[in-house]
Amino acid sequence: MKRTLASTLICLLAVAGSAAEKPAVPEKLAALLTATNDAGKPVITPEQRTYFDGLNDHITALLSNATETEIITRPDHLGSILALGLRPQKMEVLLQDNCVLCHTDPEVQKPETLFSLAPPGGSNSHLNLRHLVDDVHFARGLSCSGCHGGDPASDKLEHSHVKEWPGTARDKDRAWILSFCARCHSDPALMNRFNPTLPTDQLAKFRESPHGKLLIEAKDSRAPDCLSCHGVHGMRNAKNPLSTVNPKRVHETCGACHANPAKMAGFKLPDGSPLPTNQVAQYRASVHGRALLERGDLGAPTCNSCHGNHAAMPVGLSSVSQSCGLCHAGAASLFDGSKHKKAFEEHKWAQCAKCHGNHGILKTHDAMLSSGPRSLCVECHAQYAKENPECSASAEHFYATITRLDQDWNRYNASAEQLAAKGLDVDPIHDQLGELADTIKQARAHVHAFSRNSFDQVADPGNKAADTISTLVSEARSEYRVRQMGLAASIGLIGLVMITVYLKLRRLERQADEPNR
Amino acid sequence: MNDHGHERSRLRGWLDSRYQITPLIEFLRHKEVPKGPHSMVWYYLGGTTTFFFMVQVVTGVLLLMYYQPGEATAYESMRYLTTKVPFGWLMRSVHCWSAHLMIVSLVAHMFSTMMLKAYRPPRELTWVSGYIMFALTLGFGFSGYLLPWNKLAYFATSVGTDLVKSVPLAGDWLLHVLRGGPDVTANTLFRFFALHVVILPLLFVGLIAIHLLFVQRQGMAPPLGQKVAGRGMKFFPSFALRDLLLWLLCLMILLVLSVFLPYGPGIPGMEWELGEKADPFEPAFPGIKPEWYFLWEYQLLKEFPPHLFGLEGPQVCLFVVTLLLAVWAIIPWLDRQAARNEPSPGFSDFGWGAILFLTFLTLKAWDIGALQPVDSPASLKVISRTCAWWTLGLGAIIIIVRFLFYHDRWFIFTGAALLHVALHGLFGLSYLTAGAIAASLAAAAVARRVLAARKTRASPGGVG
Repeated sequence: MKRTLASTLICLLAVAGSAAEKPAVPEKLAALLTATNDAGKPVITPEQRTYFDGLNDHITALLSNATETEIITRPDHLGSILALGLRPQKMEVLLQDNCVLCHTDPEVQKPETLFSLAPPGGSNSHLNLRHLVDDVHFARGLSCSGCHGGDPASDKLEHSHVKEWPGTARDKDRAWILSFCARCHSDPALMNRFNPTLPTDQLAKFRESPHGKLLIEAKDSRAPDCLSCHGVHGMRNAKNPLSTVNPKRVHETCGACHANPAKMAGFKLPDGSPLPTNQVAQYRASVHGRALLERGDLGAPTCNSCHGNHAAMPVGLSSVSQSCGLCHAGAASLFDGSKHKKAFEEHKWAQCAKCHGNHGILKTHDAMLSSGPRSLCVECHAQYAKENPECSASAEHFYATITRLDQDWNRYNASAEQLAAKGLDVDPIHDQLGELADTIKQARAHVHAFSRNSFDQVADPGNKAADTISTLVSEARSEYRVRQMGLAASIGLIGLVMITVYLKLRRLERQADEPNR
Repeated sequence: MNDHGHERSRLRGWLDSRYQITPLIEFLRHKEVPKGPHSMVWYYLGGTTTFFFMVQVVTGVLLLMYYQPGEATAYESMRYLTTKVPFGWLMRSVHCWSAHLMIVSLVAHMFSTMMLKAYRPPRELTWVSGYIMFALTLGFGFSGYLLPWNKLAYFATSVGTDLVKSVPLAGDWLLHVLRGGPDVTANTLFRFFALHVVILPLLFVGLIAIHLLFVQRQGMAPPLGQKVAGRGMKFFPSFALRDLLLWLLCLMILLVLSVFLPYGPGIPGMEWELGEKADPFEPAFPGIKPEWYFLWEYQLLKEFPPHLFGLEGPQVCLFVVTLLLAVWAIIPWLDRQAARNEPSPGFSDFGWGAILFLTFLTLKAWDIGALQPVDSPASLKVISRTCAWWTLGLGAIIIIVRFLFYHDRWFIFTGAALLHVALHGLFGLSYLTAGAIAASLAAAAVARRVLAARKTRASPGGVG
């Protein structure tokens, strides 16, 4: 018994001893952590202190080293680093980089070289410390010196920029930025070390693009370079919602120039008209823009889906259907096989865009096929194919068939809901409604073949489905009538029994009362 | 004697020689149901509850012929039953309607027993057995709700069983036992199935037998104050045939409702459309509510803050509910006046107060008068106000009818319930603060009345 107690005590002492083994915070660092401001309040906030207490010994040693070498000498400087709340790997990168440590010290830096969490230029400023530490390069250990040169381990104030860095003239001709980024991004062996799936042909593509030609050949100061789209400090993976090249932000990034009339002044379309600046506004209101920006459908296209990114260029007349066909493969293929293809080429019309528009594509409607005021066909046909009455008859046929099937679907769907509420089995009706809905969708797509025979073949199952639904709805209604009749018969029978019971009761009670009289 | 009468007499003789049935027949022949100044209708509610239970048994057995418990079969078998099996839809619809009507009938039976003081000695155990049957009926409702394994049932059961966690000390263990694991899974389904079709019916049938035995041995309670049993109504044939007429009427109503409203009246907590199959990986949809008879407790839980008196809010709520239900269970022993065969208006008023308390909470759970969005502070205020006006209206009718037609002068509990509703709904006090004020005033008023009554009895000229 005594031995058990003794061993328990030893264990408890050992545990207590191991807890006491955590090294004490070095004197200088401890002084910064407990420093107070003029008002007598601690400079380091409780949140920052909690974060510090959770750091491992290695990070604490790096922080201590920074204070011992007097790179961090002020409590507010230490506070700004702790306030980042970085995970250990990133904090390790930061604390081993004297560039960052020095450029976050408000005592040493001028406002234009000081990185902080609230830079004077706002949160989008290149001096935003949060952006710097969130940068995809920073996370992989590529910090300031990777681009700006110098020795991050040195505590001397020297800058020895890499030779590609053009010094003071770097803003005049920004083409050097391309080759500067390409030092790494065009090196497959190097990129493979970090992200094997990342392409390395961005520079080659950019050179061939109008943007590239404008920057490299015309040396136009308005032309974009890598940083124009990807940002300076704070480049994030495109999947990150904060990235400037995230699908939901691409239209803003492109719009920074293309929606700015001042920047676009002087640029012209092939027909000589000025390059419009309303594309972003049109895109936002379009069916694609609403799908991406309002519904968050990442499958919906944005600027680079049609124009490309590093090789961004206008979509050529002949390639419009290819571009749209990436998603709308069925309609594009039907159009390619139609008689309209040739006619559109002869008139140099931009295929899909001729009817649907480009940046401001709106939801299609069946009346586009009609001969009414919302018709798409009438205007061109009146001018170019008025001798062919068959075309307008076909369009009317398409319109009439789709409208009829659509009305059938709406009518029978409402009937199915009513029958379901009455407790009838509507599963077979729903199956056929699904078939009808599919047919309507296919029929709408088959309009692009502009062939009555082909259209009728597709629409025919819809007619059959509508007939089947009509029969099923009638059967369900008959069944409901049978239920009502069955109920009426049951009520009648129960009523009859009730009357019999009542009469029997009266007779028995009368009989029981008679002897009492 | 004709041939028919002769044969019946021979059969009776044959049975009597073996089972001595003559005393039983004589007992039934002379059995009477007491008549009094109150309506006889209250005597039939036990019978209608039994009728709905019998319908439950018959339709339940028919449903059981097709229902297959299991994660992959429960929903599918119910769907098959209601869409493909002849009259399957009718069986399910009748089963669901009858379940709800059984609870309505049972609640009415319980409150009528309470108001007529039929629980008074020597019928205390009849009250207790009925009380346990009421609890079992709610258990039937809760366990049966999960069996179709549809979305609504799954999430309502998840939320409902989660309440068990609030039981001090054994909460987590109880939850584990109830669910057959930490979550609602097929294990829960099997447990609820066993409860619904075996355990609860066995217990219920046993209790019905005990309850009926008590009623037969003691007879139905005569009206309060009737010292000598007057000439009552003959149980056979007068009462029994009237009972049969009422059962036939109930059957008629049941069939009409089942055919015209097969999925219920569409009121939240009273609808049973199969809908979509349960998917445990989907998040629970907002605004999920239990069946109507649990709505008051659901709303009461919402009125409690997350923490109160150093305990969790739901724990305090569970304690309050347990206390109220315990008081309800031991009313026969608390009501000393009724035990002396004297009117006990205080306990009648307690019953009316309970009705108003339950009404307000149920109306509030139905979001009567809600604005959009329903959970916004403005909407919650409007809901409280609208429900308060409805409850105050009902309370006013109850008070006027009792005052004018029944000459009641005891309104402390009714008044406290209405004050509670008014302070909360009209003056914006929190539900608990308003409740505490109303309960304190009611307690003070009751204490004053009890002391005054004792003083009167103790004084030389007082009533002894």
